[in-house]
Amino acid sequence: MSDAASVAETVLDILSGVLDETPDDLRARPVLASYEWDSISSLDALSQLESKLDVTLDLRAFHAARTVDDIVALVKPAPVQAEVV
Amino acid sequence: MTETGVLLDNLRAAVADGRAPGVTDRDALSRVKDPLVLRKAGKILAKLDTADLPPVRVAVLATCTIGPFQQILQACLVGAGALPTIEPGPYGMFELTLATGGFGDPDFVVCLLEESYFLAADWDAVDVDGFGRHVEKRLADLSGLVGRSSTNLVLHTVPLPAQVRDSFISWRARAQVARIWARLNEGILALADEHRHVAVLDLVSVLADSPCAARDDRLHRYGDMPYTDGALVALANEVRRFAQAKSGLSRKVLALDLDNTLWGGVLGEVGAQGVQLGGLYPGNCYTQLQRTAQRLRGQGVILVLASKNDAALVEETLTSHPEVVLRPEAFSATAVNWSPKAENLRAAAETLSLSTQSFVFLDDSPFERGHVSAELPEIAVLAADGDPAHLVRTLLAHGWFDVLDLTDTDRQRPVLYRTRALRSDFSTGFGSSEDYLTALGVQLTIELANEFSVARVAQLAARTNQFNLTGIRFDEAATAQRSTDPGHLVASFAVADRFGDEGIVGAVWVDTGADVWRVENLVLSCRVLGRGVELAIADWLARRARQAGATTLEGRFVPSKKNSVAAEFWGKAGFTNTGDGVFTLDLGDADDRTPAWITVGGADSQTNVLEGNEVFG
Repeated sequence: MSDAASVAETVLDILSGVLDETPDDLRARPVLASYEWDSISSLDALSQLESKLDVTLDLRAFHAARTVDDIVALVKPAPVQAEVV
Repeated sequence: MTETGVLLDNLRAAVADGRAPGVTDRDALSRVKDPLVLRKAGKILAKLDTADLPPVRVAVLATCTIGPFQQILQACLVGAGALPTIEPGPYGMFELTLATGGFGDPDFVVCLLEESYFLAADWDAVDVDGFGRHVEKRLADLSGLVGRSSTNLVLHTVPLPAQVRDSFISWRARAQVARIWARLNEGILALADEHRHVAVLDLVSVLADSPCAARDDRLHRYGDMPYTDGALVALANEVRRFAQAKSGLSRKVLALDLDNTLWGGVLGEVGAQGVQLGGLYPGNCYTQLQRTAQRLRGQGVILVLASKNDAALVEETLTSHPEVVLRPEAFSATAVNWSPKAENLRAAAETLSLSTQSFVFLDDSPFERGHVSAELPEIAVLAADGDPAHLVRTLLAHGWFDVLDLTDTDRQRPVLYRTRALRSDFSTGFGSSEDYLTALGVQLTIELANEFSVARVAQLAARTNQFNLTGIRFDEAATAQRSTDPGHLVASFAVADRFGDEGIVGAVWVDTGADVWRVENLVLSCRVLGRGVELAIADWLARRARQAGATTLEGRFVPSKKNSVAAEFWGKAGFTNTGDGVFTLDLGDADDRTPAWITVGGADSQTNVLEGNEVFG
């Protein structure tokens, strides 16, 4: 599994635990507002994402995320740039 | 699956089955430090409903958002062997809720505090005196609120946030502010001295020793959450220690291995002169462990020696090695032999008449620890292997032996239990147990609870599990209140014999109605069972009730997993079972059942209290 795919799986796993939904449901309906995505659950997810993926997120960007994919995009590692000589 | 995954699955299964998580899972849960795991566990365990664990009702009032504190505390309390019900108070209404008692009827209330409660909204960094006056006023406000409450409250000291401290750019002003804050925390700590119903934990020093940041500015600004998950775990653990001490879930016995635990090296290989003890590292680590165990013993923890070794060599080393702190007499029971340690610990528990549930076992050998854990999972097993520099922390960090107050009986307990072992030997020379008991000269001293004995009486309620007739654990505040209320009676029972004074070992709480006296609970330490003391107590109660004009004395027995030893008590005392666990005694024709070998005395032993003190003849 690539790093990006692994990060997506981790995000899905954490969000499904926080929201009490299956990963399949989250894939089918990725808009977070359709679940109990409130200040408590979102901060719970934030703590878990930061701890598990060893990242530090900007809270403004985190709260601007509307979908599961938006969150994956926030936390996924930046692509390695080819070195230009 | 990871160990954490297995643990969470086991917790889910227990919740689904409506049973308590097994002792091994509870032990594993109590060792979890990861806030995320504790949050998950707490969320699962919020649905736990079982009669297998003693219930603890907790309210949490906060000057801020409590965040995940509820889940973390839930997990910590189940790990300690309790079934918590945690009710958070309404947000933004800390003072009002505390003032009006709007938090139901919990066993205790945790007050989660942070700096905003004590600071003026627009404090001025130039006016340090004004800053100090405001903090002082808010401390007085808190003190007033706390003083007016009668519920058990748990408060904590408050860290001075860096953002406040560093707003003062002058070194002199910053030192003054630090002093103001130290005085604030001193004032919060003093509330525990001023009020019996208040306990204070020192969060500031706990956080100083924790490898986590106290604050995440994002969570603070966004969610009014002043503490990180890590800080909340540290706080919840301290609250768990309080609940554990209050609910009688603390341990009483420390069983210690010798080789590579109380000293470095293997005695049988290196001899007494070769063991590492005293001097520089690593010998000093073992000395400090021995000193720590000695300090625990001074506070009532019973020490047991459990070593696979040559008994004569151990005795000689403990007696004559100049650096040994724990001499042979420090141990209330000794098991130095080649038998399995689980067997030895079980035998030591029997000798001491204590449950193995009250044991903590410290050993360097993974084999011995594993064997004891497998045979006696209820024993808390601690690892003494690895760097000996950590030994003292390993022993103390969890707070296994915490009590709310230290009583005289606590201090004397190790000696009492050592005497008890001698008493067992004495008993072998008699033809019948009556001969033995008569020769023992049992004296029962009865006194109404007073300001000196209330703490010990409440402690007995919290810690007595076997001879505990109804399981109602009257705490210190409730006991103090009943002891002065004309409609109630609280009495303490002390027992002594030719081998020594056991101190206060029993207590009774009675609702003294005009016609019917109802025993709300009667507890008696297992140390004195088998001597008929409980029958003498029942007789005294009957005499006292009759003297007051009552016609019936009523008792109850509420069975628990541990109190079967007391199931027959009311019947043996002449009471009639009227069903539903209620027993009554008609005071018109009650027999005297006090055993002939017991002498009853004490200031309140006479039914007519005006007769004054009775002295033993």
